[in-house]
Amino acid sequence: MPRFGIAIDATKCIGCHSCRVACQNQNGLEFTETFNWIKDKERGKYPSYDKEYVPLQCNHCGNAPCERVCPTGATYTTPEGVVLVNKKTCVGCKYCMEACPYKMRIILHKAGIVVKCRLCIEMVREGGTPACVTTCPTQVRIFGDLDDPNSEISRFIAESGAEPLRKDLGTLPHIYYKRS
Amino acid sequence: MKKFGMTRRKFLAGAAVGSASLVASSYMSFDAWAATDTVAEDVKVTPTLCDACGNWCAINVYTKGGRIWKATGNPIAGLNKGKVCVKGHAMLHDVYNKDRIKTPLKRVGANRFEPITWEQAYREIGSKLKDIIARDGVQSVFLVQYPEGNEDLTNRFMNALGSNNVFSHASTCFLPRNIGWWLTTGAPKPEQDLENSRHVVFIGRNPAAGLQLRMLVDMAKAKDKGAKYVVVDPRFSEMAAIGHQWIQIKPGTDLALLLALANVMIKENIYQKDFIEKYSVGFDEWASKIDYYTPKWASEKTTIPEKVIVKLAHDMAEAAPSSIIHRGYHGAMGTQYKNSLQLVRAAGCINGLLGSYNQKGGMFNAPKVKLGKLAPEKYPGVPELDMPMSDGSGDPDKYPITPVGLGITQAIPELALAGKLKAGFVYHNNPLRTCPNPARMIEGYRKLDLLVSFDYVLSETASLAHYILPESYYLERDDVVHTNHCYTSKQVAIRQAVIKPLYDTKPMVQILTELAPHCGVGEYFGFTLEEYNRAALAPLNISLEKMKKEGVIDLGGEWKPGEPKFSTPSGKLEIASSILQDLNLPAVPVWEEPLVSPNSKDPYEFRLIHGKQAHLTHARSINQKYLKEITTLNDIARVWIHPERAKALGIKDGECMTISSSVGKGRARAKVTEGIHRDCVFLPSGYGVFAKNLEKAFGFGTSYNDFLPTYFDPVLGHVMANEIIVRVEKTQS
Amino acid sequence: MPESAWGWLIVVYLFLAGSGSGAFLAAVYCDLLAPDWSKSLARAGSLVSGPLVTIGTICLVLDLEAGLWEPWRQIYLAKNLSSMIAWGVIILSGFIPVALLYAAALNEITFVGKIARKYIRIIEYVGSALAVATATYTGVLIAVVNGVPFWNTPVMPVLFLASAISTGLAAAMIVAAIIDASTIKTLSNFALGHVIFLAIEALVLMLLVFMSLTRSTEAAISANMLISGVLSPYFWVLVVLLGILIPFILSIVEYYEYGEMPKSLVIGSDLLVLMGGMSLRALIIFSASPPQII
Repeated sequence: MPRFGIAIDATKCIGCHSCRVACQNQNGLEFTETFNWIKDKERGKYPSYDKEYVPLQCNHCGNAPCERVCPTGATYTTPEGVVLVNKKTCVGCKYCMEACPYKMRIILHKAGIVVKCRLCIEMVREGGTPACVTTCPTQVRIFGDLDDPNSEISRFIAESGAEPLRKDLGTLPHIYYKRS
Repeated sequence: MKKFGMTRRKFLAGAAVGSASLVASSYMSFDAWAATDTVAEDVKVTPTLCDACGNWCAINVYTKGGRIWKATGNPIAGLNKGKVCVKGHAMLHDVYNKDRIKTPLKRVGANRFEPITWEQAYREIGSKLKDIIARDGVQSVFLVQYPEGNEDLTNRFMNALGSNNVFSHASTCFLPRNIGWWLTTGAPKPEQDLENSRHVVFIGRNPAAGLQLRMLVDMAKAKDKGAKYVVVDPRFSEMAAIGHQWIQIKPGTDLALLLALANVMIKENIYQKDFIEKYSVGFDEWASKIDYYTPKWASEKTTIPEKVIVKLAHDMAEAAPSSIIHRGYHGAMGTQYKNSLQLVRAAGCINGLLGSYNQKGGMFNAPKVKLGKLAPEKYPGVPELDMPMSDGSGDPDKYPITPVGLGITQAIPELALAGKLKAGFVYHNNPLRTCPNPARMIEGYRKLDLLVSFDYVLSETASLAHYILPESYYLERDDVVHTNHCYTSKQVAIRQAVIKPLYDTKPMVQILTELAPHCGVGEYFGFTLEEYNRAALAPLNISLEKMKKEGVIDLGGEWKPGEPKFSTPSGKLEIASSILQDLNLPAVPVWEEPLVSPNSKDPYEFRLIHGKQAHLTHARSINQKYLKEITTLNDIARVWIHPERAKALGIKDGECMTISSSVGKGRARAKVTEGIHRDCVFLPSGYGVFAKNLEKAFGFGTSYNDFLPTYFDPVLGHVMANEIIVRVEKTQS
Repeated sequence: MPESAWGWLIVVYLFLAGSGSGAFLAAVYCDLLAPDWSKSLARAGSLVSGPLVTIGTICLVLDLEAGLWEPWRQIYLAKNLSSMIAWGVIILSGFIPVALLYAAALNEITFVGKIARKYIRIIEYVGSALAVATATYTGVLIAVVNGVPFWNTPVMPVLFLASAISTGLAAAMIVAAIIDASTIKTLSNFALGHVIFLAIEALVLMLLVFMSLTRSTEAAISANMLISGVLSPYFWVLVVLLGILIPFILSIVEYYEYGEMPKSLVIGSDLLVLMGGMSLRALIIFSASPPQII
């Protein structure tokens, strides 16, 4: 069984938000609802001034705080390491939203349930790639099997030294970042 | 889960000719939250061309239960290589925008419209147009368009009438860039082999926001292979975010930097001598003048340290010939400064010093596809018109090298006020918002006796039109065969309807063929779109059916590096331009001051510069809710200002500023950032919609055009959009 | 990125569940230690406890979304025992009936009350354990949230327990004064309870804020929001001054003046404690600041 993840090369992100809307379309989300964010970070003064765009999405943590606090067990991890929310048993208590250190979950008020990036699991299981990965003009995201040392993603992580966000939190994310 | 917010329409099979049907059940078997639908829905895919901007990327549009769902990119398409940008995804939704025009309209008062039938509209337009032509002559009729796709047919309509007053966005966008490259290399829009470039310098060009997906795909690959990108810009653009070096330059002085780069390369003998000797003319003349433009001189002009300039010249020369200055677009090389034409010329010449023409990783001319034409014996061709346009384009005494057919669009109100233009057609363009000085634009357009718009929403311009003949949305219509995707190889592509029109709208081709007889030029439009397209494809041996099935067809003819060829008068790279020489203009690139400069001693005075954001196209996409949300969520409609300048004015980050120029006044909140030159403020473009009927966009933000006086560049007549001095103050509440 | 998901309903829930269990503990304390002269207070405490916790729990349910309009989903609520909400559901489903039963027993309401009266000691012991669990749990609920570093500290349950007891005592005292005006004098004895628990609350709050200033950047952001930032006026005025300091002084005066203080001041002081407890929870919820991730 593969363990899916995404490596994000933030040094190539231009902040265009194509990933955001590709994902919204794929998942039929309204314009205010999103599973993707891009935050920018400015540093220094010219000539060493730099601005970095960092694409953000659910980290699919190996040790997911959201899963731990979910009273109904609606949040669960698939055998591929993808964290999902069961739409039938979520009660919308939003405890997971508070518990997520990355704040990557949203509540769909119309459906009354909490949702987030699903790594396009139904496409991925058919051998496809998540919508945010395929649409990215500068190929910021690399999708693949973290357990296969020969996969593109594993090689990228090994070569670039990409690391999860806030590794110190012990959440064991499946999303790795190469930062400038 | 609500999907796209409306009830589902039954899928209309006829709409998706040649589309592949997929079994949707696999997409719907979510064990996670996803859609609430339990029934498998009918998913269909139709290849077509996007119309969210002028790039016309090839996309595969998915419908689910007959409703537009999503799009993916066509992997072979030369311009987008399998990618779809943020606008491409979001503008799919606009087919369901409630602001859309649903029937032909006749304006019956200020912003008051009445639905009419197509027949009535055609009849009234035809009779009014005939009267105007009889009274004021046919050159009083004009067309403003976005010259792409259907332009062959719109031009045909105008030429059939007998007018060559066809305008575009050229004078507000790219005119100097095209003319500069044409004068220097013979081709107005050479491409660059970014995938193999080792060193690329971007002069005010920001392909990461003025998106061209193919370039980004290539650059991302090349970056992995070690290519170096240097971004010269007054502000830290999105391109700078993925570049290796940002060189902050005083706006309007890019030409000084390029002259100094040439100076270093020539003085230090690090240019490609073989190339210059073999393939260029005028080098000696330039070399004799270049002495003056030392890095020290340029440093004073540009505020870039001397050693940075010298180092840049060395880096560029070292990577030659896979080293280029990017061709540019609307940025500094477009219609922004009085010296933009000289700037483009200098860039073309430096690429010569780097010997990069037709080299791997250098500049090249995309292979072209020659499409077939309607057989003239069956369908009479339109008369050829050989005269200057009313705005002076092509007039030896006015704008001799501004081509007929592009036009100087900001001249339209002046010509209307002078009584020279009386009737206008506006197609896929919104000059009232995209041209400078809107008050003057409105004044001029109001003077017209007849204004016809083909818009799909009541844009600023459409709101002033007497008649609106709504074109179907791009997802609802078939268009002409298109060769835009020729990049490194020959490609043809086609746009086709993904769904049937939701309202009483028609494809442009049909509108023209139906309108033409009422205007007395029916004989030139006795064909259908299908006949037109079959004729276009005939020489390529491709059937229309195959074309529609595949969306994009690659015909091979891959570009290969080799001997450079220039279609200039001398057949060589013209460092000294014979055409400019004949016009008594500087034959080789020399320094020219920008038109205006802010007084550096006045703390309130700034140059106003602008630029694109990746999620917005011109002035129309901010009305799209998915796109506007990106702006509001990230608070990125703010005006950038340098921290020290802001502090001197008592302006804090996020506070409101009042900005005024000689023609306009507006407000914007401040983004205080180190990422901008202290001489200027930066206003992102795409905002400031004043069309009341665009509900989402109306009144949001402001546009640089509100502050830009009506200028005409003395050589080409373009708008000189960055030659604005503004006064910035903290807004007093 | 939605940085905060919980709002006023959760604040009210945390407050009511806390003060309800505090009132229960106050009632048991009175009934066990001074059944003769503090009868009114014991009765008042027992009467408010169950309803307060019930109303609080209704707020919690109202904050649910799919679980509210499709109530059958609530059967899953105790499925995952690593979730504090699951434990909360278990504790509350134990405590609410016991608290209501206690009110019936102590006040001999209906035959149920009369029967329960016989087992009052068992109800008191079991109920006290559940009350402490409820009050503490409201603190643990947010203390285990590592998505908000400011909350993520063992001090939080202690603070919530201390605040629960003082607000519960205050609620009981107000009701006692209403049902039996003559008891006002004896209430002064219990002003000492306020002095003690308000002091503990103040100390723990101080500990929380000062530790947060150095604990992590994000906790410091929250703490600074309270002591010098946007929430500081509310913090200093509503929580510190009106919610702790003034009732603390009034309670000392009340204790020493023994029944000589005007009734309005006695009740006013208790109302201030309630307001302070509510404000404290609101400010803790609204000062949440997520980890800085980029």
